Amino acid sequence: MRIKRLLAAGMAIIMCVVFTAGCGNSGSSADKSSAGTSKTTSTTNSSSSENEKPVTLKVLAGQSTTDAGIEKMVDKALAKKYPNIKLEWECVDWGKDFQPKMQVYMQSGLPDIMIGKAQDVITYGSQGVLGDLTGKKCLSEVMDAAKTGVTLNGKTLGLTYNALYQGVYYNRDLFKKYKVEIPTTQAELQTAIDTFKKNGITPFGTHLSDTWSIGNVTMQFAVNEVFNKTPDWGDQFRAGKVSFQTSPEYKKCYEYNKLLYDNTWKDQAFSTEQTACDAKIVQGKAAMKVSGSWSIQNFLNIDENFDFGIFPFPNSTGNAKLLFEPNITLMKSAKSEYSDAIDKVFEVIGTDKDLALEICNFTKTASMLKNVIPTFPNPSQTDIDKYVARGQIQDVNLGNNQLKWGGFQEENAKDIAEYLQGKITVEEALKAADSRKANSKA
Amino acid sequence: MNKSSRLSRKLNMQYMLLVIPGLIIFTIGMIVPLILAVRYSFTSWNGMTVEKPFVGLDNYIQMFHDKNAWQAWKFTILFTIFNTIIENVGALLLAIALDSAIRCKKLFRTIFFIPCLISPIVVGFVWQKMFSNVLPNLMEILGLNINTMLFGSEETVLGGMLIANNWQWIGYWMLIYLAALQSIPTELYEAAKVDGANGTQRFWNITLPMLAPALTICIVGITTGSLKVYDLLVSSTGGGPGHASTSIIYYIYNTAISGRQYGYGSSLSVVLVLVLLLIALAQVKSLRKREVQL
Repeated sequence: MRIKRLLAAGMAIIMCVVFTAGCGNSGSSADKSSAGTSKTTSTTNSSSSENEKPVTLKVLAGQSTTDAGIEKMVDKALAKKYPNIKLEWECVDWGKDFQPKMQVYMQSGLPDIMIGKAQDVITYGSQGVLGDLTGKKCLSEVMDAAKTGVTLNGKTLGLTYNALYQGVYYNRDLFKKYKVEIPTTQAELQTAIDTFKKNGITPFGTHLSDTWSIGNVTMQFAVNEVFNKTPDWGDQFRAGKVSFQTSPEYKKCYEYNKLLYDNTWKDQAFSTEQTACDAKIVQGKAAMKVSGSWSIQNFLNIDENFDFGIFPFPNSTGNAKLLFEPNITLMKSAKSEYSDAIDKVFEVIGTDKDLALEICNFTKTASMLKNVIPTFPNPSQTDIDKYVARGQIQDVNLGNNQLKWGGFQEENAKDIAEYLQGKITVEEALKAADSRKANSKA
Repeated sequence: MNKSSRLSRKLNMQYMLLVIPGLIIFTIGMIVPLILAVRYSFTSWNGMTVEKPFVGLDNYIQMFHDKNAWQAWKFTILFTIFNTIIENVGALLLAIALDSAIRCKKLFRTIFFIPCLISPIVVGFVWQKMFSNVLPNLMEILGLNINTMLFGSEETVLGGMLIANNWQWIGYWMLIYLAALQSIPTELYEAAKVDGANGTQRFWNITLPMLAPALTICIVGITTGSLKVYDLLVSSTGGGPGHASTSIIYYIYNTAISGRQYGYGSSLSVVLVLVLLLIALAQVKSLRKREVQL
């Protein structure tokens, strides 16, 4: 009996030890191997000690599909200049996992470096958790236009690295073959649609199984239809001065979705995902696609000689602008004890033009660093240069920074999907957007 | 008397010592989060700030006016009802077939069980491709005009989900029924045959009653699992088209995490837990009455 008692006590102790060992303190600053440290600790680590001592910085990278792989390029560039600084990467999908991760880390301690999109700067900067980069060397080569969207209360809180262009990607060969001009008005767009339909070509390619694509194109329409006329529409919406139901411009944006849906492969639209849609554009089964630079990688992977261009989706007043979206944006934790090391990493990323060229060529995006011109074959670059030269470009974050994506734009996109399928009217979809007013702030 | 009560106390101490570690893990992993969720459900916390403003019952009141929450419940309940019926009937029929004198029983058992080993995320992805690419091309080759794009329409997305989910899990429950079938004493069937009972009578009067414990396990397990469907939806339809295949768990996740409405999301999850408890209790209570104990 005594032996049994001892055995039982021994097993219980072993279980307790195993349990507590599994919940070890991951915030130990002495632990170099796995977890980085981003807890609120004294920042008395001197920069001179950081020069010699190996430092491991935790990085949370919210990536688009085109960004996966850039971490190796950054590691290589960093190793050349600061070999004592190592980055421990946690790469997640920006659309699905970045926000949940950030919310967990907001409670438990942020990573040293966060890589998201420019709109995240507004979300997290307003919580006071991002470090100020104003005046730092890392921003010296960044275009001024790229700093506006990441500056809050006079402080630049993000390093915007590259940009995606958003608009209507079109198959140049089909446009040439059927002698279709680039439309600048809705009437011209309808003419183009009619021409393609007459010749058995689906005017628009869509992939509505990805609800996010509906949200994205709606914001593209809204920037040119709503926000270009009323830059603070989002703030006015929350103040009760405007609403989705009473805004003829926003109603038009919803109805533009219907225009795309009525001129696409309707029976397959909600079953088609992005890669399949992009393949059909390259194969000439559809003439146009309202999209962003994230499609370029697919286009060129399917056919490296595919000739395509881009133009802004025509708005009701004929003065639509080509949209750019600042994409990869680096942010620094305000409470990291490795502030100097982070600045060094940012300095490498923000000033190394060879690295910028490599990343932009890989991701098929435009650089936000001065005088970095990607060399990947981008047939749409001539169109982009044309709009840039005319000053006919607009930062899409004008809208994204006012109406948040998760819980608002994303939910509105689902209502638009129901409207397209005839389950609800456009008025009901607009009313549903208004009902989410309290949850619209970025 | 004193000796036996001392012995009993000692035994109880030993049992407690062994149970305590598991109890600690259960408390930290389940009870504490549950209590915190109840607490957050009375706040308008956004998941980021330190402040958690108290709003009383506002979140629970909002839930009754939330059309999307009702839609999520509707999908979840319909999915649960159909899934429970199809999976139980299908698993039982497969188990009966495998318990009979057919050839290659072990091979069939393995084939039916293998899908359970695949992650639901992969299953969702596979069936998304099946419905949108593979099957349409197959229909085209065969010259058939059958719409296989089940995930692309609000009317058919539930059917598509049921097919994908049953394909994955029917083998798992089949094994439970098979084990239960194989534990039924053959003497009962022999006695029934002697008494002149036919196959159907033997099934209804012997097989089903003897399967009652397995039925309880399977029905409760499938019901609670169906009420918690999530990962299959993430990789297949993303809750769409629109809100058509958004389950309550998916809606809670989107509301709390993407929507940064932790308070409201917590209130939805508290209600979900209560509903799950009620359903499980009701099922166990009614099904236990029918169980036959040997």
